[in-house]
Amino acid sequence: MPNMVNITVDDQKLKAPEGAILLQVLIDNGISVPHFCYHEALGPDGNCRMCMVEIEGQKRPQISCDTRVKKEMVVYTKNESINDLKRSILELELLSHPVDCPICDQAGECSLQDYYMEFGLNESRRPKEEKKLKDKKLDIGKNIILDQERCVLCARCTRFTQEITHTNELAIIGRGNDARVSTLPGQQMHTAYAMNIIDLCPVGALTSKDFRFRQRVWFMHSAPSICHGCAKGCNIHVDHNQEKYKSDTIFRFRPRINKSINGHFICDEGRLSYKQENEERLDDFYHQNRRISQENALSYLLRYLHDENTLFVVSPSLCTEELVIIQKLAERFDIKMNAYHDPYTDPDFGDDWLRSQDRASNLAAVKKLGIPTSKEELLIELGKTKVVVNFDHKALCENNAETQNMLVNKTQIHFVSHLFPECKNHELLLPIASYSEQKGTLINEDGILQKFEAGLCNEKKNLLELLHIINATPETVEQVWDEILAEKFGLAYETISAEGKQL
Amino acid sequence: MITRIVSKNFEIPNSHTLAVAKANGVYESIDKAFTQPSYVIETEIENSGLRGKGGGGAPAGAKWCLATRAQEMDQTSAKSYLVVNADESEPGTFKDRQIMEFDPHLLIEGMMLTCYAIGAHDAYIYIRGEYKFFADRLNKAIQEAYDDGLLGKKVKGFDYRLDITVHRGAGAYICGEKSALIESLEGNRGHPRLKPHKPSPEYYFGAPTLVNNIETIATVPYIVTNGAAAYRQYGTEKSPGTLLFGLSGHINKPGIYEMAFGESMQAFIDTIGGGVKNGKKLKAVIPGGASTPILNAQEVKEARLDYESMKEIGSALGTGGMIIMDEDTCMVSALKNLLSFYHHESCGQCTPCREGTAWVDGIIANILNKKAKADDLELLSDISKTMNGKTICVFAPAVAMVIDGFILRFRDEFEAYIQKSLGEADA
Repeated sequence: MPNMVNITVDDQKLKAPEGAILLQVLIDNGISVPHFCYHEALGPDGNCRMCMVEIEGQKRPQISCDTRVKKEMVVYTKNESINDLKRSILELELLSHPVDCPICDQAGECSLQDYYMEFGLNESRRPKEEKKLKDKKLDIGKNIILDQERCVLCARCTRFTQEITHTNELAIIGRGNDARVSTLPGQQMHTAYAMNIIDLCPVGALTSKDFRFRQRVWFMHSAPSICHGCAKGCNIHVDHNQEKYKSDTIFRFRPRINKSINGHFICDEGRLSYKQENEERLDDFYHQNRRISQENALSYLLRYLHDENTLFVVSPSLCTEELVIIQKLAERFDIKMNAYHDPYTDPDFGDDWLRSQDRASNLAAVKKLGIPTSKEELLIELGKTKVVVNFDHKALCENNAETQNMLVNKTQIHFVSHLFPECKNHELLLPIASYSEQKGTLINEDGILQKFEAGLCNEKKNLLELLHIINATPETVEQVWDEILAEKFGLAYETISAEGKQL
Repeated sequence: MITRIVSKNFEIPNSHTLAVAKANGVYESIDKAFTQPSYVIETEIENSGLRGKGGGGAPAGAKWCLATRAQEMDQTSAKSYLVVNADESEPGTFKDRQIMEFDPHLLIEGMMLTCYAIGAHDAYIYIRGEYKFFADRLNKAIQEAYDDGLLGKKVKGFDYRLDITVHRGAGAYICGEKSALIESLEGNRGHPRLKPHKPSPEYYFGAPTLVNNIETIATVPYIVTNGAAAYRQYGTEKSPGTLLFGLSGHINKPGIYEMAFGESMQAFIDTIGGGVKNGKKLKAVIPGGASTPILNAQEVKEARLDYESMKEIGSALGTGGMIIMDEDTCMVSALKNLLSFYHHESCGQCTPCREGTAWVDGIIANILNKKAKADDLELLSDISKTMNGKTICVFAPAVAMVIDGFILRFRDEFEAYIQKSLGEADA
């Protein structure tokens, strides 16, 4: 444990770990100190010179990113000379900046814009024809657009490719005010984590081709969620907005900081998986290609639940609450369950960082609840059954020969969030909410139990609500925990912190 | 006034060849030094008061101690390195090339002694890329030394391995800054590193490393042979020894002259330099390479050539490469010349330097091109304030001091130019 010492910042007494980076301590304590190049994940670089503070006993202002906390340190972050300094550095940053905030996607979450509004507000003292022109709208691959004129050369992006991914696609070329971020000639970004540089970029120099011009950030709402793309359980922000006359739509996923899981980053595939949440969604109940009401659909379902020859196939990506409620239903109707896992294994996807080859997001919970996952068990059960109820299992929706063979001559009932080929021709089709529309918990591959919140507010019923109607099982996540999971896991829902809980 | 320590063999024909060098005493200190414990050399250097001759003038002995102490404290790094800074690119400075051209073996001898003193077995000479001729000459001399058994597995028969590698830079002024030099030597972009918060050596691939200027290293053999006291008999108490002083610009006898510290600048210009060219009056002198604040004729009269006196009169001794300007020199053009250089050479890492050097260059260009605005001088001093003391290395502060130096001493010339612009605008 680091030694905690007393420091004074702007006449406010603080406790801070001795030797910690002063800027990080200030940020953690909610004291705003402008900075571009420092980033918690990348450490200090000292090039932007924005984070200057005055420290008693030092004759010059110091950059707080390269200052370590010392006992009884007295720091001033806001006095007039420091603000003057920030103003003059900002003036330099903006010398050749195109000042195109009205058409810049970063506007609203741009450090340069924020700091200018806070400290700058100066008229330019340099005629605009003397601005240094650089390249704009460069497609550097992996959905990333580079605008060199908006760049403040903080080197966060280049340091990310050098120090975090070790792929070295980006470098600063040119000297002096001709310096600019660039890929090597003829080459493009290729790391599977490339789009993180868009979040790292404090200004509008790196923007997402996918998100550009689609939404102003201040119109969007954000919900804390978890990526369901693999068993890693990376924390994400679901940024969504309901525009007039349109349904609530997700515009992007962004990494949400969780130091025990994904740090500050997510993979590109996970980031772009938001599209699946918007597209190809199933909205209505169908019975043999006929649209029916929810009531009718549920009464059809009940009929099959009473059938002795029914089998539940559940997705190992369902949240823990759904899994346990399906288990309750299975117990009541004496139905066997299987969470066939093989189709969720993808060795090509896995790496040694944030991508797990297990593409199921909740396998750990499946195992904890004792639900079988093997193909052998599934085949034995399928041999005994006529009716298969699918709870969003992806293999049963795919049109491949193996699964079709397994399901030949079976009556198929699907609880699914998304459309799939021929889905409406099945016996019964019931739409359910997807993970971005509901809350729940997941257990990742390292055994960390995490909560995620509902993002979209479309009027789609989630699985818990539907099963509540036919079986009077708990209807909300909190109820599921109160009645079942709290006892099973030996902990209360409220005690799961934002960082998750190691089981 | 001339005192020859480093330059003693410069005028001997073929002094750069091993045979001539050996005949003139080079490599003689090795036998004595390598039979003594290594700390003897270090102590001698410390006692001699030798100061780094690359421009900063920091005590060399203390720097050597840092490298050896870091090695002792940090047991994990069994290695240490010597890097000789031959990235001589300061405008007005052309002393190091003389050593490489006329006495490369003296440098090699100095490197052998230094490496032995700090326990380094690998040494690098980082030479500016444009110095092709000198790099070739050095390489030739190093090859001669290898062939003669002076370098390699057994240094002159002693059980000590030493390898010297010449590395040519790619042409960046900033790579003369020691941490940028090491970054460049490691294969990275030449960006200065954040300065350590306590005294510390440089680190080359994580190993403690000593970086010294060529001339500093070339002085080592004299001190080892003749002792600290012999070196201290020259120069002043705080600036002992000699320096290769340079004269260029409007001067009758430009060149490199080795002198003890503490001589009068005016006397140096008048006697050794032969006075200002074409019998004109002296207007100004940039005393020690472009990055030192300019002196006017009055200040030159008072100036004495040692670190302390130069600091006292508001400038710096720097590398001792003096640029002489006669009465007809346009100070605005002279400043523009310097600022173009700094604009081109700023590495672009820190904001104040990256944007500041370009901006001030543009403003001076405007003043010259009759596009000046009334408050341009105020703007210049604002920018130079932002550039001073707020960057990783001393490049931007040096530029700020250059600007301030010119405007402080020759403000009327700048104002005249601005008046011309304004008059034209009115018309």
